[in-house]
Amino acid sequence: MTWSALARAATTAARRTLAQPGLAVVSVGFYLLVTAAVTSLWRSAAEAHGGEIAGYSGLALTWYIVASEATVVAQRVRLIEEVGTEIGSGAIEPELLRPVAAVGVRLATEIGAVLPRLVACLVAGAGYAALVAGAPIATGSIGLALPSIVLAVVCNIAAQHAVAAASFWVRDAKSAWYLYHKFVFIAGGMLIPLEVLPESFESVARLLPFSAMAYAPARLASGYFEPGLLIGQALWTAVMLVAAVAMFARGERRLTAAP
Amino acid sequence: MTIVADRLARSFVTGRRRARRVVEAVQGLSFTVEPGERVAFIGPNGAGKSTSIKMLTGILHPTSGDATVLGRCPWRERRALTRDIGTLFGQRSQLWTELTPRQSYRMLGAIFGLDDRRLDRRTAELGALLDAEDLFDVPVRTHSLGQRMRCELAACLLHEPKILFLDEPTIGLDLLAKQRFREMVVRLNEAQHTTILLTSHDVADIEYVADRVIVINHGRLIYDDSVDRMRREYFATKLIEVGLMHPVDRFETLGASVVHQSDLSIRLVVDTQVLPVRDVVDALLERLPVADLSIVDPPLEDVIASIYRVRSS
Repeated sequence: MTWSALARAATTAARRTLAQPGLAVVSVGFYLLVTAAVTSLWRSAAEAHGGEIAGYSGLALTWYIVASEATVVAQRVRLIEEVGTEIGSGAIEPELLRPVAAVGVRLATEIGAVLPRLVACLVAGAGYAALVAGAPIATGSIGLALPSIVLAVVCNIAAQHAVAAASFWVRDAKSAWYLYHKFVFIAGGMLIPLEVLPESFESVARLLPFSAMAYAPARLASGYFEPGLLIGQALWTAVMLVAAVAMFARGERRLTAAP
Repeated sequence: MTIVADRLARSFVTGRRRARRVVEAVQGLSFTVEPGERVAFIGPNGAGKSTSIKMLTGILHPTSGDATVLGRCPWRERRALTRDIGTLFGQRSQLWTELTPRQSYRMLGAIFGLDDRRLDRRTAELGALLDAEDLFDVPVRTHSLGQRMRCELAACLLHEPKILFLDEPTIGLDLLAKQRFREMVVRLNEAQHTTILLTSHDVADIEYVADRVIVINHGRLIYDDSVDRMRREYFATKLIEVGLMHPVDRFETLGASVVHQSDLSIRLVVDTQVLPVRDVVDALLERLPVADLSIVDPPLEDVIASIYRVRSS
C-alpha cells in the first residue's frame, strides 16, 4: 500500500509541475543560459590547452556540463530552506496525521515534481550540445548516464531532506541551503570536473556524497564508461535515504514528545 | 465513548538558561465525547484549544494524564488512529492550488489506502453532500476561500473518518461562506453520524454547529454543558449596530439599552430574555432612518468573563 501511495504522490506532483508550464520554461531557459556560458568557457579553455583538459576534450566537457547542470538546476534551489521553514512553523504537523510517513510522501512528491523539469532540461541540453559541439562520444556511457542522472537527483533530494530535518532541533538550520549548494557546485563537480581540482582536494571530494549528485552522471555523459560510478551513487543514495528517514523519525519524536 | 480525556496536561518550555520558562498550556483537562456528538471546544487565543486537539490526535504527547480516542491511545497509536479520524486545520491546506481537488484526492486517497473505485464512490458522495461536485474539476487556485474550504472538508473526509477534528475552520471566511460551511458540517454529522469536535473563537460557529460546548481558558476547563443552556445563560444579549442616513434625537426602546450614539450610528445591547431581537429591529426600522444594520454576538472574551463571574459568585 505504501509504495503505491508514494507512486501516486510522485505522479500527482509531476502533474502539478506540468500544470505550471511558465515555471518550466523559466527553468529550462535559465538552464540553457548557464549551460551555454559554462560550456563556452570550458571549450575555450580546452582549446587553449591543446584541445584537452585533464583528459576531457571540448566535446566531452560540453556533455559533462549538460548533465551536471541538469541534475542540479531541475531541482528547487531552496529546498532545504522551504522544508526547514515548514518544520519550524509547524506546517508539517497535519502530515503526521496520515498513515504513510511524512518524509516518504515528501521525498516522493519532490522527486515527482523534479522529473518533468529534468526531462525538459536534458532534452534542451542534449539539443544544444549536439548543435554546438557534436554527438555524444560513447553511446554506452550515455546509456549509463541516464539512470545515473536519476540517482543523482534522488540522492540530492534525500540529502537535502536530511539536512532540512535539523530544523526539528535548530531554528536556523534552514539557512544551511546556501552552504550545501556551494558544496554541490565545487565538491560535487557541478561546474568543475573533479580531475581538474588540486589532487588533495580531488581526493577529499571523491569521498564526499556530493560527487554522487553531479560528478558521476556528468563523467558518464562525457564518454567515460565507468559502471563503478553508478554503484557508488546507488550506495550514497541508499545512505541519504536512510539518513532522511531516520532524521525525520527522530525529529517527529522530538516534536511530539513531552518536555 | 468516542473520546475520553482524563486529567490531560501539557507544558512547554520556552527560552533558554535564565530566560527558561515553563508554560502550562493545558492543565488537568477531563471530558468525554459520545459517538455522533457535535462538540464545540472554545476559548480565547492561547487558551489551550489547539494543544488539546494535538494531544487528542496524537501529534503531541501530554506531560501527564491519559486519553483514548476510539479506544486507542492517540500518541502511542497515532498511525493506526489516522485511518479513523479526519482533521481540518483552518490555515493549513491539503490541496495543491495548481491542481483540481479531484487530482489531489487521488493522491490523498492512495495515502489512506482507498482503491480507485472506493475513492470515486466517496468523492461523488461528498460532492453531493457538500454541494461541491462542480468544484472538484476546477483548479483550486480559481476557487474562492469558501469554495476551497468545502473542498478541504471533502479531502479530510475521503477515508470516512468516525471523528472530525476542525481547528478554526471558518477563520478568514466571509459571513456567507462561514454560514454555508457550518451547514455542511451539520449536514455531514446528521447524514453520516460523524462525531464533530470543533475549536473556534467565533461564537456563531458554536451556536450553529454544536449541541454541546466545552470552554477552556488558561488551559483549564471552565464550562461543559449544552449549547442551549449556554445560550440561555450567557448569550442572552445581542449587540445591534445601526448606521443612519441622517442624525436623529436620542433613541430609546424597551429592553434595549443604547451604549453608544453618534450622528450617524447607534449601538444597542438587547437582552433577548426580555425582548426578542426581532421586536427591537422592527422598532428601529419603523422609527429611524436606517441605512445599515447588523446584529452581533457578544465577543467570546465577554462570554468567558461572564462564566467566571457566575462561577465565582
